[in-house]
Amino acid sequence: MATQSLNPAGDFRTTYAADTTIFPTAGSRYAVLAGLAILCLAPLWLERYWLSLLIQIGYFGVAALGLNILVGFTGQISIGHAAFFGFGAFASAWLSNNLGLPVFFAVPLAGVVTTAVGLVFGLPAARLKGLYLAIATLAAQYILQDFFARANWFTGGVAGTAAEPFSILGFAFDTDQRYFYVVLAYVVATYVLATNLMRSRDGRALVAVRDHYLSAEMMGINLTRYRTLSFGLSAFFAGIGGALYAHYLQFVSVEGFGILLSIQFLGMIIIGGLGSIMGTLMGTAFMVLIPEAMGWLTDAVRGSGLDRALSLKDNLSFLREMAIGLVIVLFLMFEPDGLAHRWRQVKAYWKLYPFSH
Amino acid sequence: MNTHLLLQLVVNGLIVGALYGVVAMSFVLIYKASQVVNFAQGEFLLIGAWVCWWLLTTYQLPFLVGMLVTFAFMLVFGIALQIVVLRPLIGEPIISVIMVTIGLSIFFQALCKWLFGVFAQPFPPIFATQQVSFLGLEIQTVYLMSLGISVAMMAAFGWFFRYSKHGLAMRATAFNQQVAQSLGISVRNVFALAWAISAVVSSVAGIVVGIVNGVSSALSLYGIKVFPAVILGGLDSVVGAVIGGLVIGLLENLAQYVDGQYLHWGNLYEIVPFYVLVVILMIKPYGLFGTRDIERV
Amino acid sequence: MIRTATLTSALALALALPAGAAEIPIGHLADQSGATSDVGVPYAQGVADALAWVNRKGGVKGERMAVESVDYGYQVPRAVALYKKWTGGRDKVAAIQGWGTADTEALSAFVTKDEIPYVSGSYAAQVSDPTGASGKAKAAPYNFFYGPTYSDALRGMLIWAAEDWKAKGRPGKPKFVHMGGNHPYPNSPKEAGEAMARELGFDVLPAIVFALAPGDYTSQCLTAKNAGANYAYLGNTGGSNISLLKSCKAVGTDIQFMGNVWGMDENAAKAAGEAANGVVFPVRTAAVTGGTAPGLTTAAEISKESDAAGTVYRPVHYYAGICAALYMTEALAWAKDNGGLAGPTVRKGFYQKKGWVPARMEGVCVPSTWTESDHRGMMEVHIYRAKVSGPTDGALADLMKAGTIKLEPVKTVELPRKPEWQGW
Repeated sequence: MATQSLNPAGDFRTTYAADTTIFPTAGSRYAVLAGLAILCLAPLWLERYWLSLLIQIGYFGVAALGLNILVGFTGQISIGHAAFFGFGAFASAWLSNNLGLPVFFAVPLAGVVTTAVGLVFGLPAARLKGLYLAIATLAAQYILQDFFARANWFTGGVAGTAAEPFSILGFAFDTDQRYFYVVLAYVVATYVLATNLMRSRDGRALVAVRDHYLSAEMMGINLTRYRTLSFGLSAFFAGIGGALYAHYLQFVSVEGFGILLSIQFLGMIIIGGLGSIMGTLMGTAFMVLIPEAMGWLTDAVRGSGLDRALSLKDNLSFLREMAIGLVIVLFLMFEPDGLAHRWRQVKAYWKLYPFSH
Repeated sequence: MNTHLLLQLVVNGLIVGALYGVVAMSFVLIYKASQVVNFAQGEFLLIGAWVCWWLLTTYQLPFLVGMLVTFAFMLVFGIALQIVVLRPLIGEPIISVIMVTIGLSIFFQALCKWLFGVFAQPFPPIFATQQVSFLGLEIQTVYLMSLGISVAMMAAFGWFFRYSKHGLAMRATAFNQQVAQSLGISVRNVFALAWAISAVVSSVAGIVVGIVNGVSSALSLYGIKVFPAVILGGLDSVVGAVIGGLVIGLLENLAQYVDGQYLHWGNLYEIVPFYVLVVILMIKPYGLFGTRDIERV
Repeated sequence: MIRTATLTSALALALALPAGAAEIPIGHLADQSGATSDVGVPYAQGVADALAWVNRKGGVKGERMAVESVDYGYQVPRAVALYKKWTGGRDKVAAIQGWGTADTEALSAFVTKDEIPYVSGSYAAQVSDPTGASGKAKAAPYNFFYGPTYSDALRGMLIWAAEDWKAKGRPGKPKFVHMGGNHPYPNSPKEAGEAMARELGFDVLPAIVFALAPGDYTSQCLTAKNAGANYAYLGNTGGSNISLLKSCKAVGTDIQFMGNVWGMDENAAKAAGEAANGVVFPVRTAAVTGGTAPGLTTAAEISKESDAAGTVYRPVHYYAGICAALYMTEALAWAKDNGGLAGPTVRKGFYQKKGWVPARMEGVCVPSTWTESDHRGMMEVHIYRAKVSGPTDGALADLMKAGTIKLEPVKTVELPRKPEWQGW
């Protein structure tokens, strides 16, 4: 069936391939390609500040994608994601520093190593459910963090370790303008990978485990295998994200992979929309940009009449923090299903415009 | 084997564990009623401690009066929070509600810093004798007070859930919201009550920690610290929460003993409870006292 | 022809305009709302006030500084984003006033690459080696800080402790224990401290870990007491040190605690109450509030920038902030006269004087010397003792005035600038 330029008014899909296609219309395909093209040109006209924010969204987005596969698609809660993110960062630094591996290979390899760790910590998933499992992942968080501080040979101990800049054949991607392309390539690759994975047999098995695991089991899906697998997958993406983070900052320290980052990862996928691939990226962007946006807001208020009238001065920073919390609360009160859901509604509105409702 | 030190550590573990138990209990209350994991529990401690500190230092209230006023405030606060923020979310995905509590925790953390400053503040001296000696261990009086209050509270909860109308309503709601509603129980009121009680119970722990360590924003970390205790006891068991707290308190101290006397690996007291937790969960997947889900198709 | 002339002149005007109204952009990372805000607030206030004061006095050689103070909540990603903002656009900052351990280390590679002098609030010895020649740390040529490194401060206190032990005439070898969280900041001076302690004839006990947050640390105190520790280094920041001191007081230990620069101050002493009595700790300035040094008059003037009434009590970190800011402005001033405000020139500005004290800060800022191969600005360790007598509820200013809380100078240790001590 040829790709149409618009969605037809009814459901005319007659094959599974048509049903699971990534781009239902030609327009959506072009839109994505155009978006990518614009992003490819971004380093030419964007300031470093914006590039660094985009890079941040990129590496957090890759890691959050892993968490969404675990939480959104398989229905297991994890509050230890930051530890896997950190493990990937250390692993990649270690591989390139100690084994002399080019960073180009160290990054995906770090993903693989982290997968192995994820599988180990995913083992309790065979027996535990819901919040009990969540706390087992919390244990993973603390145990790995302790390991980071202890394992001098691997992480440089509490002093941390330096990471080489990313390079291909001697060409170093050590500026924001260059590193942006590395992150972009990984974001595209991982998101395409995840999208396709979810369309495969294994992906459907994960969703079945989430929706009704008893039925899934009866249909011959090996629960233990898929639950553990989803932990491995989530760790894989976390590891890649962490490795990208390490080679961006070129320094990895045990600080910064704490429980608070784990909670932030959860925030990204909940706000983005559980079980939505693109939502993950939107949620990540939301969580990264909110503090910045509130920063711009306080900058605008600083020194203005409002500031003087209320003599806010230094208290502005508290107001900014409060606003971050408040935005999260209000957002979820009005849109509990996340940005992906809102996005679909916006699309639906314009599809029918001006005749919606 | 240094039995004297071991004994002291065991006593200390039980005392600190009782405090964990109190926080864990307030955690379980909310979970039991509304299935919400409250990430803002630590901020409840913080708010309780700051309010009590503020009453005591600004208005020079006697400690007991100050504490009672704090309880009253927390009661209102809990109900208000439930009505304004959480009630509109009833029926929405639980995970979104959990995220809302994360947002609340960010909000209240900053609010407390704004209102009360960023410096740790000491409570005025409250007890004539700061510490009493028990089995060779000097114990701070305030811990004994907390022990007394927690035991009293646990007894009160035991009575409340077993005999009182509201307690029974809460249990019914926890068991099955729809059935409870059809029996004429106002689920919304039950939720409000759960949040209110939880806020009050948390404030007790907050005040105790505040008296011992001074009040500072880092106090809210207790909220995350009790997670293992909650899970160990079983998410939906109030008694389990208390026992979980005691076990974690003991484990921390015993780990410190083994570490300090024999192993010298460092940091065991923070990590060992988590290892033990995983092992226990592998043997008993619903904690020590949690209800096992029986699933029928 | 005329048209081209007008066009070029207009163009020249357009180009010259920003130059004419030029200000020196300065970035200032502050933690006012995050985990370290208890010490971050006074330090950042000191930096901000000092820079505002310099501006009011005519700026750096007649040029004003455009200071952007931003609270980053002690979060590394936010610090990185801010750094990119300050260095990415047209108005690249001439220097940055930074803050914590994690962000200083995260930005270290960037500032080296971008050649931006970075004055941090982190004194880890690991960023004191500009060439990397010590082999203990990687080269950090653009990292500066005002104060003894964490390691040197501990070395100084250990020298004092050894003398104290002798003076008390107690028998046997004293026992030293390192206490702190399993984190980069408390552990930064651990190796150095334990090596120094052995050298000085201490018995070094296995380190005791306690978390970087308030909690009950009775078990740690019992362990230390049971092991017979005489001197203990507290590596953590305020809140958690307070908890430990209180727990140890309840247990009844006879341990001389030694805090670190950020681990003890007037506010922490107030919160810990009598448990803080007797704790010694390093102070980075030669005088504290209430002293008589001539520099304190200037400091009082600077303090008026944010507190016109002059009633706010200024804790030790405030003065350290002032000094850190003033060294930077004087380095900028030198650079302006010697070829412009490019990073490498400003960096050179830091190397111009030996035993350097910023103008009008005599007796407050400790004479410091930075060289191209050694960024340990100060080898002097001013050791103070916190004295607390009585209940500490009430306003800090009153408590200090009444003498309920006192900071007593104990000793100034002058460490030799040993090359083998650099970088760890």
